Amino acid sequence: MKNLRIVSLLFLILLVLILPFFFRSNQYGMILLTTILLYGVLATAWNIIGGMAGQLDLAAGAYLGLGAFTTGTLLLRFNLTPWIGIFVGGLVAVLFAILVGLPLFRFKVKEVWYALSSSALVEVLRIAFIMWEKIGGPVERYLPNYGSALYMRFSSYIPYYYIMVILLFASLFVNYWISRSKLGYYLIALGDDEDAAEVLGVNVRSSKLKALVIYAFIVGLTGGVYACIYGFIHPNFFSSPLSTEVAILGIVGGMGITYGPLVGAVLLVSMRELLRANLGGQLESLYLVIYSVVLILIVLFRPRGITTLLQDTFNKLFSRWVRNNHAE
Amino acid sequence: MQNNFILQVENITKKFGNLVAVNNVSLNVVQGEIVGLIGPNGAGKTTLFNVISGLFPPERGRVIFKGKDVTRVVPHVICKMGMSRTFQVTRAFASMSVEDAIRVGAYNRHTNKETLEIVNEVIQFCDLGKLRRRKCADLGLAALRRVELARALATEPDLLLLDEAGAGLNPSELGNLMDILKEVNREKGITLFVVEHVMQMVMGLCQRIFVLDAGELIATGAPEEISQNPRVIEAYLGKRAIR
Repeated sequence: MKNLRIVSLLFLILLVLILPFFFRSNQYGMILLTTILLYGVLATAWNIIGGMAGQLDLAAGAYLGLGAFTTGTLLLRFNLTPWIGIFVGGLVAVLFAILVGLPLFRFKVKEVWYALSSSALVEVLRIAFIMWEKIGGPVERYLPNYGSALYMRFSSYIPYYYIMVILLFASLFVNYWISRSKLGYYLIALGDDEDAAEVLGVNVRSSKLKALVIYAFIVGLTGGVYACIYGFIHPNFFSSPLSTEVAILGIVGGMGITYGPLVGAVLLVSMRELLRANLGGQLESLYLVIYSVVLILIVLFRPRGITTLLQDTFNKLFSRWVRNNHAE
Repeated sequence: MQNNFILQVENITKKFGNLVAVNNVSLNVVQGEIVGLIGPNGAGKTTLFNVISGLFPPERGRVIFKGKDVTRVVPHVICKMGMSRTFQVTRAFASMSVEDAIRVGAYNRHTNKETLEIVNEVIQFCDLGKLRRRKCADLGLAALRRVELARALATEPDLLLLDEAGAGLNPSELGNLMDILKEVNREKGITLFVVEHVMQMVMGLCQRIFVLDAGELIATGAPEEISQNPRVIEAYLGKRAIR
């Protein structure tokens, strides 16, 4: 079983690496793949705070926007390459996460109240950046140096795709590593019951803050790349719909399962985009209706995530295969 | 001050709005003993436990654990100092397996590698071997109470507060639990402080008993004394029962 897992993991890595070669001449296909991976990274990072620690965070857009604006502004003002800028963006997101997390966790804001506060954060930042004319403002600010690899401004989507692949495997690894460490056990415990975790020696506040910080860093880092892909920065990057969608992907994919949110992102984002591409022209927003119906069905019949459905199916097939082979 | 008190509760008062849940209660627990806290429903037993374990800050009074004032210390620090507890309504980690839940406790004093040993030891001690890979959400009450006990033991406490560990158990499950608790006290030298409704358990387990009624401490003594104390009988059965 363990060998099988390693083989399938290697197969997956190989698939992800060679996928662009099938889409070489297809710009749309590459945009789609990159977008799927982008959501995959965000949802995987969300799994740390949302899936393991059980905090319904709806502020992915806040950290994404901060990463994008830091990276973009550093490039515009100081001509600093995004290769460094994205890390500064990640750190800015971390600082902001600490600033927000300290009071929220100190005053035990949790469950729906945490969801609402984190959601408000995105909108507050969006308005603030529209008002802050020096950095943001209502008009897009375009990034210079198009076509320069040195400034992460590629003229093709393929390099961006590979950057996303790296980010994806990094955040999957971080997830996996946390889930086997003390922090992971503490997060799942406090997600189930904070008081019970406290009396067993779990520092609930600092554990939550650690989870939030790690999540914010990955999302901020991704935000920097996001700005480079789009080629501009705009306060609408502080997006509530995106924040909600990241949480939805995490939940529907399977909370607390390392690769659950990724599976959710791959299936749902590709479905949504294909529906939009095929139906968007004739029946506007019909794709959203179908998308929503699918979401509702999954949540109704597989509340623990679509990944568990795949796991069960796989296990059934595998055990049947083993049985058949032994029978012969 | 030389004494062997592991826990001293001094003049604790805890109010919820106008309701005085615990009124000026003082008591001491000696290192190594098993003491019980009994009283009718709503007497303030669980509230007192919540104050001692750091979940509720009291309005007045002090809690002294191993000679140190822990009145306003947060629970996870108190746990590091050597006090843990279980809950009246079981609060197992629903999404975790039994062994993972116990491991959370083991991390209190141990690093990643060592926790496995502690988990195995505690699982054996509490007879949870068959259930170790089951999800806590799938367990029955008796098993959940054992998981809670195991989890608390894994933190390696010197003082363990048990909040109605026997509630809802049938006589044979109760007997099992009492055997485990006696062993915890004897072999591991852990001081036990139990809140209990089940008289059979209190009388069979405790060396000393405190009785709480309407937030006030009304009696202290050995089980036999307590069972004949008129104020205790009055608190439980009403005035007319004393004859």
